Amino acid sequence: MGTLPQLIEEDIHKLDETLREFLAQTDATLALLLDKGGFLITHQGHAGELDVTTLGALASGAFLASQTIAGLVLETNFNHTVLQGEHVSLCTMNVDEHCLLLVVFPSPAGVGVMKYYAVGAVSRLARQLVVARERDPAGGLDLSAMDLANPEEFFRKREV
Amino acid sequence: MAIINQATKELQVKIVYYGPAMGGKTTNLVQVHDHVQTAAGNKGKLVSLATSSDRTLFFDFLPIEAMTIKGFKTKFQLYTVPGQVIYNTTRQLVLRGVDGLVFVADSQYEKMPENVESFQNLVDNLNSLKLNLAEVPYVLQYNKRDLPNAAPVEYMDFLLNNRDVQVPAFGGTAHKCEGVFESLNMITRMLLQKFINQSVPQYA
Repeated sequence: MGTLPQLIEEDIHKLDETLREFLAQTDATLALLLDKGGFLITHQGHAGELDVTTLGALASGAFLASQTIAGLVLETNFNHTVLQGEHVSLCTMNVDEHCLLLVVFPSPAGVGVMKYYAVGAVSRLARQLVVARERDPAGGLDLSAMDLANPEEFFRKREV
Repeated sequence: MAIINQATKELQVKIVYYGPAMGGKTTNLVQVHDHVQTAAGNKGKLVSLATSSDRTLFFDFLPIEAMTIKGFKTKFQLYTVPGQVIYNTTRQLVLRGVDGLVFVADSQYEKMPENVESFQNLVDNLNSLKLNLAEVPYVLQYNKRDLPNAAPVEYMDFLLNNRDVQVPAFGGTAHKCEGVFESLNMITRMLLQKFINQSVPQYA
């Protein structure tokens, strides 16, 4: 299963540690590490009632759309987007080819603080993701115990 | 591509519904959302980024948690792409990280050129992401079988399923939820089967 990134506890522990440190430095509310395909890898901070799965999917889509727009105007040095709100703001930053860091923070805190402390955090996150990818690129999850002869088992239709 | 999180015991998989405009991609997701049997909290909200006339502008998104495999929660993320020709860049963005595809074709005779064009567009967009259709599990759904001008399934197979390896194809009437779960369950089966075939039993 060569294409599937394997994240073990050590990876998640280090990624979470970096996110927690970033939150402590910036007073941001929430930090999410996202795959650019829309997957939420991990998050730290106070999510409350927020739907972090949907937040991650929409943020990665929005970032990729903005990146494409930047390309159309021939801007090659594009690495973050900011959504400025009255009370809450969001900043999405490029981590590496595959991942993004999404930060939710109180608007008065200012995006400058987020960007300043993100430099170190992004580089640590990227380093750990490289470690995870290189650890065992051929390793996979053994799903052989599944009953694939019966596809009805996956999603069942609710009878109305 | 799918993500395996050993720490949280989660497997995340992305399935994209592709096809021509007004073919029934969004209807598929609406029907899954309305009819899927899940434990409480395992089905997320259906998010639609649509125009005022309900045409998909960016994508529809539905997260669902399905079964547990060997202690791993399997989280599916279902996406649709906008079918309209002008939104090709958006389709490329949504295809990023795709694990499996459901191609929703419109069975009406007059829609055949659009079906073929959309299918070719899928192949091109996968190529632009350095993916090959032969390596991405997909199923075909011939939607709108209830319409009087629906083309025979054999004809649609000839147009869309005429490759070295034929893929599973399902007749569908998505607004009545016919063919919807059959397509979803089959693509799920195929992509998990692919994971098994690729798997090296180092984690067994």
